[in-house]
Amino acid sequence: MNLQFNEDQIDALREFMNVSIGAATASMANLLDAFGTMHIPKIEICNSDELADKIQNSIDIRSMYFVIKQLFTGKFGGECMFVISEDSSINLGRHLYDIENPSFDEVNDAVIELTNILTSTIVSRLTQELNTQVQFFVPSLQFLDAASIVSEEDVGEYSKIIIISTILDFKDKQIKGNVYILTKDEAIASLRGLIDRKIEEIYG
Amino acid sequence: MKILVVDDSKIARMSVIKSLKVVHPDAELIQATNGLEAVESYKKERPDVVFLDLTMPVMDGYEALKKIKEIDKEAQVIVVSADIQSEAKLRVLVAGAKNMYPKPINVEIMVQIFEQDILL
Repeated sequence: MNLQFNEDQIDALREFMNVSIGAATASMANLLDAFGTMHIPKIEICNSDELADKIQNSIDIRSMYFVIKQLFTGKFGGECMFVISEDSSINLGRHLYDIENPSFDEVNDAVIELTNILTSTIVSRLTQELNTQVQFFVPSLQFLDAASIVSEEDVGEYSKIIIISTILDFKDKQIKGNVYILTKDEAIASLRGLIDRKIEEIYG
Repeated sequence: MKILVVDDSKIARMSVIKSLKVVHPDAELIQATNGLEAVESYKKERPDVVFLDLTMPVMDGYEALKKIKEIDKEAQVIVVSADIQSEAKLRVLVAGAKNMYPKPINVEIMVQIFEQDILL
């Protein structure tokens, strides 16, 4: 199966992700009452056994992380993963609960609240841009070290993975998280078809 | 009329251009792929209107807007961005943009821009 993307397809996917992240950043800005700096999304297609390294290279490996994974299915199916460091999560808890030392459970709740807004906004907006719809599964939350973020179970069945990633960055609140959308094998081909339809619509 | 469309994404530029071609089919369209190119193009071409993205490599839209306004205080810059935070809009309006619109731009919004924001 040809799983490569051409320049126009990558450009379009990056732009759709940019619009999706813009919507998510605005929702978070309202929640945090702060301004978020937007970063240009990155698109990579890699072998599944490279995923763990790719993610570790984009975060501080000395930190512990809250990792929230949410599967979605449809013509564009995959997994949205939000990775936020322990320090950022504590800052989030402090801000949302307005207390100096939030408990682990309070930090947990704050991360879940943020992620619910984040993943649903990003994936819903991305699928809206692609003129399709998806169904969400219940998200899972784990507290992990950097080396354990990607498990064998996550990648075992797949050969290629597309990583769409960006950083959510609220400097004033010292809250920063990484968003990854992972789509695999057949779903990549389906995604490419959706992008082509959208390109045709815009380019005419 | 000369219009400069600035975005690092080709599909985003094409989206703006598609609406521009409906609203102003005779306009001369110039493209730039980052803020630095936009500033150079503004100096050389002196467009009547600039459609400017914010999140771009090399030089972002905030910096490009500042530099374009330094070159020409009367420059008519419309910011078109995925960043829909109210503070982002406030920042660009303070920096001298005529208005800011969320991506993507369609024909109806383009008509509104030329009716409400742009002086021709």
